[in-house]
Amino acid sequence: MQFGRVLTSGGIGIGSSASSANTSLVLFKNCVMTSYQYGPNLTSPSLSLKRPSCLPANGENKEQEETSPSEPKPKSKSRSRSGRRGTKGKKKDTDIVPEVEAEKNVPVPIPVQSSQPANLLNLEDVNPVGLGRKSRQIFDDVWRKFSGLGQISRTPTIPANLEDPIFIRGPMCDFTVPEAQDTTVLVVGATSRIGRIVIRKLMLRGYNVKALVRKDDPEVLDMLPRSVRVVVGDVGDLPTLREAVRGCNKIIYCATARTTITGDLNRVDNQGVSNVAMVFQDYYNELAQLRAGKSSKSKMLLAKFKTRKSLNEWEVRKGNYFSDSSFALQYDEGIDAEFDFNDEGEAVFSGFVSTRGGYVELSKRLSLPLGSTLDRYDGLLLSVGGNGRSYILILETGPLADTTQSKKYYSRFNTKLGFCRIRVPFSSFRPIKPDDPPLDPFLVHTLTIRFEPKRQKPGEIIEDRQQDPRNFKLIMEFIKALPTGQETDFILVSCTGSAIEPTRREQVLKAKRSGEDALRRSGLGYTIVRPGPLQEEPGGQRALIFDQGNRITQSISCADVADICVKALHDSTARNKSFDVCYEYVAEQGQELYQLVAHLPDKANNYLTPALSVLEKNT
Amino acid sequence: MALKLGSLPPHLCSSPTKAKNPNVSFFWGRSLVPPLADVSCSTASLGKSYARLSITCTAQTVSTSISQGTPVRPTSILVVGATGTLGRQVVRRALDEGYDVRCLVRPRPAPADFLRDWGAVVVNADLGKPETIPATLIGIHTVVDCATGRPEEPIRKVDWEGKVALIQCAKAMGIQKYVFYSIHNCDKHPEVPLMEIKYCTEKFLQDSGLNYNIIRLCGFMQGLIGQYAVPILEEKSVWGTDAPTRIAYMDTQDIARLTFMAMRNEKTNNKVMEFAGPRAWTTQEVITLCERLAGQDANVTTVPVSVLRFTRQLTRFFQWTNDVADRLAFTEVLSSDTVFSVPMTETYNLLGVDQKDIVTLEKYLQDYFTNILKKLKDLKAQSKQMDIFI
Repeated sequence: MQFGRVLTSGGIGIGSSASSANTSLVLFKNCVMTSYQYGPNLTSPSLSLKRPSCLPANGENKEQEETSPSEPKPKSKSRSRSGRRGTKGKKKDTDIVPEVEAEKNVPVPIPVQSSQPANLLNLEDVNPVGLGRKSRQIFDDVWRKFSGLGQISRTPTIPANLEDPIFIRGPMCDFTVPEAQDTTVLVVGATSRIGRIVIRKLMLRGYNVKALVRKDDPEVLDMLPRSVRVVVGDVGDLPTLREAVRGCNKIIYCATARTTITGDLNRVDNQGVSNVAMVFQDYYNELAQLRAGKSSKSKMLLAKFKTRKSLNEWEVRKGNYFSDSSFALQYDEGIDAEFDFNDEGEAVFSGFVSTRGGYVELSKRLSLPLGSTLDRYDGLLLSVGGNGRSYILILETGPLADTTQSKKYYSRFNTKLGFCRIRVPFSSFRPIKPDDPPLDPFLVHTLTIRFEPKRQKPGEIIEDRQQDPRNFKLIMEFIKALPTGQETDFILVSCTGSAIEPTRREQVLKAKRSGEDALRRSGLGYTIVRPGPLQEEPGGQRALIFDQGNRITQSISCADVADICVKALHDSTARNKSFDVCYEYVAEQGQELYQLVAHLPDKANNYLTPALSVLEKNT
Repeated sequence: MALKLGSLPPHLCSSPTKAKNPNVSFFWGRSLVPPLADVSCSTASLGKSYARLSITCTAQTVSTSISQGTPVRPTSILVVGATGTLGRQVVRRALDEGYDVRCLVRPRPAPADFLRDWGAVVVNADLGKPETIPATLIGIHTVVDCATGRPEEPIRKVDWEGKVALIQCAKAMGIQKYVFYSIHNCDKHPEVPLMEIKYCTEKFLQDSGLNYNIIRLCGFMQGLIGQYAVPILEEKSVWGTDAPTRIAYMDTQDIARLTFMAMRNEKTNNKVMEFAGPRAWTTQEVITLCERLAGQDANVTTVPVSVLRFTRQLTRFFQWTNDVADRLAFTEVLSSDTVFSVPMTETYNLLGVDQKDIVTLEKYLQDYFTNILKKLKDLKAQSKQMDIFI
């Protein structure tokens, strides 16, 4: 159907009228074709929805020809049929089979149509109302297509595809995250500067979002997207928190104290984080219990000190760093250590080391449950009490038979007065011989806790035997291995403190740090983001610096912080990390010290993974 | 609010003079001030004259104390036409970049809930009713105007009268930036009503004294889905023209991204920029590409441009088909053998965009077909599963 292009010779020439005559034929042909496809969502591109609905329409039209061409009847029929579609039944299945056939070889319906004309011509067929309606529909349809040709770029039916998932939140959208649909995120502090943007970003990416707000005032609710599930509660109120974390996979905590009054700081930044983490961990534990402790989230118990018998395999050793025994003996004031189960039901490792270069250690060969290896774990969690000394944890690897080949790795940890839980990541272990390879947790067979009087915090009063740094008392509760998670569970937005007025900075930082500590100890996979001073400006404009060690100077936009939070949700490099983040320092013109090499965050580059992968874990 | 509505030109309230003579399609008769610069550059084509009228924006920023009193946040933007193909991408991009987005949406029975779901604030107003506009502009720093009248409604109502009212309002209320989307080559085709209107609006905006960005666009890739991709997949007939016009289609997500880069860039203030896709395509090429990606032949019905043109001529003779004639007016552009494309290198450099990040039509359609075909497969697999239970 090719027509020569009629040139713009001005007005209507013979050529154009001739071609228009031809086209009317074309139009007619299309009328026939399109009449069978007419439907309310003809041009809507929602193919996934449309396919099943347009196929029965074909069959239905066939039927329509056989019986009667009047409009309302078949329409209602098709509706009822599509309604039945959702339910299981044999009728439906038989419906589908001819459809599939019709789809495979399109020409089939056409002979059927042509073989029917005898039946077709009945009284209702010439019903003027029906004919008029039909022709009107046909004309509208053709006309719409025809006039759509005159357009350059406008989508022909904007209202029709308004509800279309492909256009609204479709597969081709930059923002879609594959995991988003199955992930429910609780945003604590949903109305904060960062929280609001976090929620929008989550919604754009198709997450299920829960928001914890303190009041469900209309103005608060107006700030949140409609389909966010709002939970009214407070970070200080445990029952509401339990309700809030139910069904959640992740938490983003961006609430912050409104004032710098110590009580406020303590309530939100410290106790609040601690509460939410605790409740969330409880929820996880509950889930783990439902799965009989076989959850990937559950820790592995390495040693428990609840009974006298459990102390049996532990061995107390004394040793000295100086190989020259005569030198050691010269300063020998005695070493004593014992590991005993006292009357209060506590396993206590205590004693004193007064010999120079002397140490005592408590050691056990690990017996892991069958099928589990330490390489699927991230570190050790010790629950200990005592008088706040620092100890060295030593892991021994190598063949069990030949101890001369064994390699030892150490990591120092501090305890506090009283009970505390200490997280010692495997990554913090260093080889005792510097040229040994890094620790492979898979090979670990022996665990040792060593006390030595070196590098202890100096006791204030030497006379007091309790305060003498050579004395120690370590109450053991349990040692567990922390599971390696792929993703972070809890993202905490903290701060670097540079934006706070200097007089209150210390208090604010103290509260924030204790909140962070509470989160680290909780056993959840965490990410702690410490942004520089926040700016209310659009994000994604400037390069970001990720750093550890409180060295950053620049500010950062709220939107960038929100973006980091959302990106960190599914980033394995973000797990168990704390980091500072700010804009890159841009020197004044002519003052540049170095060339800009970093990239702006963009859809094409995921800046977070490379930036975080170089940072230290378990910080 | 200290805004004096009276400062809006009085004609806003008067009923617009409809074009009585179908031949002169641009007679708005509302020039307040004697035309200043470019008045009535009348173009003669096809024996008809089009008078270009210029209207000067007379609204002044009423009181500077508004802007001094409570400074608006630079992150607060108003998107006009937010439910459209481009508008929704603009809203989405803006939200993702951390803007507080307000959407001006016409009151309608089916509200645009997806905008609210994304976290935008939806306000109801109608550009056709100027009195509804000022309230929506309170506290707004930037207006992004992606509104275009729907094909089925008269072009003048929204695209001209509404826009004039909006720009005057924006001026009066001290809006600090106005982003306007226009059409590529709109100055070259005064015979096409929509393009003529866009060009007049550009001029009007430039004269208004607002800080503006005008962005001229060529074509949206999203439009091709409904026009070609879906009909091909459904084995329906595809209507194409044999026009040799090439259009550099662009992904609306890219347009939105570049828009915000341009909006924040000081260098683009008060400039007319042109955005175009990486390559210009004819309709035939697009259909061939779709056929290749879908793995099935299209049932193409080619309508010669001359037919369209004839229909347009015909419809213009009657008052009641005038809108139809307006809609078909692009025929003139289609038949004029133009290439709708602009070299973008300069723009990329200005905005600091990497050309690799701009989606090509091949990539776009490929993504679409991959996703759709996968979905169809799933559907078929499901129906096969059902067969087991017979």
